[in-house]
Amino acid sequence: MNETVSLPLKIVVGVILLLVVAPLVVPLLMSVSDTPYIVFPPQGFTLKWYAEVLANPEARGSFLFSLELAAIVTVASLALGVPCAAGLTRYRVPGQDAVLGLILSPLIMPLIVTGVALLQLFALLGTRATMLQLVIGHTVVCLPYVIRSVSASLLLVNRNLEDAAAVLGAPPHIVATKVIWPQVRPGVLAGGIFCFIVSFDDYPISMWLADGNHFPVPLYLYTVIERSFDPSIAAIASLMIAFALLLVLVIEKVFGLSLARLAG
Amino acid sequence: MSRVESIDVPARSLPARPVPGGPTLGGPVLGGSLPGADAGQEVPGEPLAARLAWRAWARLAGTRYAGYLLVAPTVLFLAAWFVWPVLTMVHLSLTARVVEGVTVEGFTLENYVRLYASDLYFRILMRTIRIALMTSLLAAAFAYPLAIAIARGGPALARLVTITILAPLLVNVVVRSYGWQTILNKTGALAWGLKLLGISNPPVLLYTEWAVLIACVHVYLPFMVMPIAGAIGRIDRSVEEAARVAGATRLAVLTRVILPLSLPGLAVGVSLVFSLSAAAYVTPQILGGNFSPLLGTLIEQQILTLNDWPFGAAIATLLIAMVLASNLIFLKLVSRRFARWTAGAH
Repeated sequence: MNETVSLPLKIVVGVILLLVVAPLVVPLLMSVSDTPYIVFPPQGFTLKWYAEVLANPEARGSFLFSLELAAIVTVASLALGVPCAAGLTRYRVPGQDAVLGLILSPLIMPLIVTGVALLQLFALLGTRATMLQLVIGHTVVCLPYVIRSVSASLLLVNRNLEDAAAVLGAPPHIVATKVIWPQVRPGVLAGGIFCFIVSFDDYPISMWLADGNHFPVPLYLYTVIERSFDPSIAAIASLMIAFALLLVLVIEKVFGLSLARLAG
Repeated sequence: MSRVESIDVPARSLPARPVPGGPTLGGPVLGGSLPGADAGQEVPGEPLAARLAWRAWARLAGTRYAGYLLVAPTVLFLAAWFVWPVLTMVHLSLTARVVEGVTVEGFTLENYVRLYASDLYFRILMRTIRIALMTSLLAAAFAYPLAIAIARGGPALARLVTITILAPLLVNVVVRSYGWQTILNKTGALAWGLKLLGISNPPVLLYTEWAVLIACVHVYLPFMVMPIAGAIGRIDRSVEEAARVAGATRLAVLTRVILPLSLPGLAVGVSLVFSLSAAAYVTPQILGGNFSPLLGTLIEQQILTLNDWPFGAAIATLLIAMVLASNLIFLKLVSRRFARWTAGAH
């Protein structure tokens, strides 16, 4: 097995992986620099930038708002997506291919276009319900992930177990909760987690639909990068990276899902 | 592995609840209406409403309307909030134009002509295509070694590479772009490194097209690596061994076996990366500054700053056309040609 991956290739892979990690590590180093501007290598050591960021009400407000938005979007996407995946995999729906194409098309459409089209429609309709608009916009983008993930696990469900349960006298809701659900759970979980991440990290939809009172973290970060140059941005970036690493750990260890499954 | 586990769970929990009414052979349709099944539903703590809903569902589950009912909410939702807005936008780009701040209605191609006629806009269009192509090319070059390591390396190496490649996807794009800013800055890590190497006056890459290109390759690399790794994983190892036995060098195996046979994966990767980088907004904004805007920035300026909705809609429509074209070129054409190459091999 080692024969196919030669040493030179391993070195090349190592260098590329370092390059991949570099932009995530450098902010971490800079965030502890005791200088009023960004400089490499960092000078001195201080945690005051972290203290500043954590005490900042704007940063905290954005973070909490993003959590709330992502949670609502996840619930909405699961509520729409799980039944849809069930309908697509377990029933014969006329025009199935067309429906599937429609569901997956938000993945192909550039996000920035989806966002601007929605903004235009909302302007046309004259609505000002920012929260609702954000939830709708994010759900459009998140639905395909949920449906793909749940459909994949529904297709793996062993039908014989259902028949066996029914023959043994289990009523349909017991079959659903005790036989089908345990088999579908990983797919629903993966879809939900991915949906949460997509919503939490979204920039190109929110940039059109958000306003000052509904200001998700990515937009907040962007404005901070635009207007200030001190290491506090590096501190926020480091916190976001730590948050992402925590997510990786939770996904891999707690939920036992492989990261590759989320990306696939 | 996970499949086996998930199937095990229900099997163990099956005999847990003996049903007083005896077996109901009717399946889902009858099950809900049989008295025996009703007795089985006496689950403590389950509210009446839920039970009624289950019973109603059980009656419907066997009919063909169930499928419609399950799929309909999503289809309606996407029709209302995805298809309708996009069509409205395309429509607007063809039926209105802004002349000196005043909207003129009526069918027009003026918005599209403007993109080509104006030197400024045309340059932005060309830059977008150039950066998207270069990003795809560079990402492919970086992706192959990684994909080979994932598909052909040992489990430890494959896992290390996969996690390192995919973990950044969970980090916000703004943060990743900012990370490059800290490297490419005048006082950044790259300048420091070059100074160590004795290059005293290193070029500042930040706020140039190069910075945008570097960061785009970094951000979209995972979308190139995974499909190529999948394609390489599907290549029969015996084909490579045969080539080696027949005297091919490692390089020849790479260029004449792995490369051609992984072409479908490359096509998927290129179409993804091209589409994503052509529509990139955050990365060019943070790393290109005001000096190298792409189409995404142009849409944002036209709509939010200049309030020229029809022109913004036209650029957005052009972006859709570019994405569809790249899908068509890279996916349809390549897969057809690939099918011809490998005809009879499967």
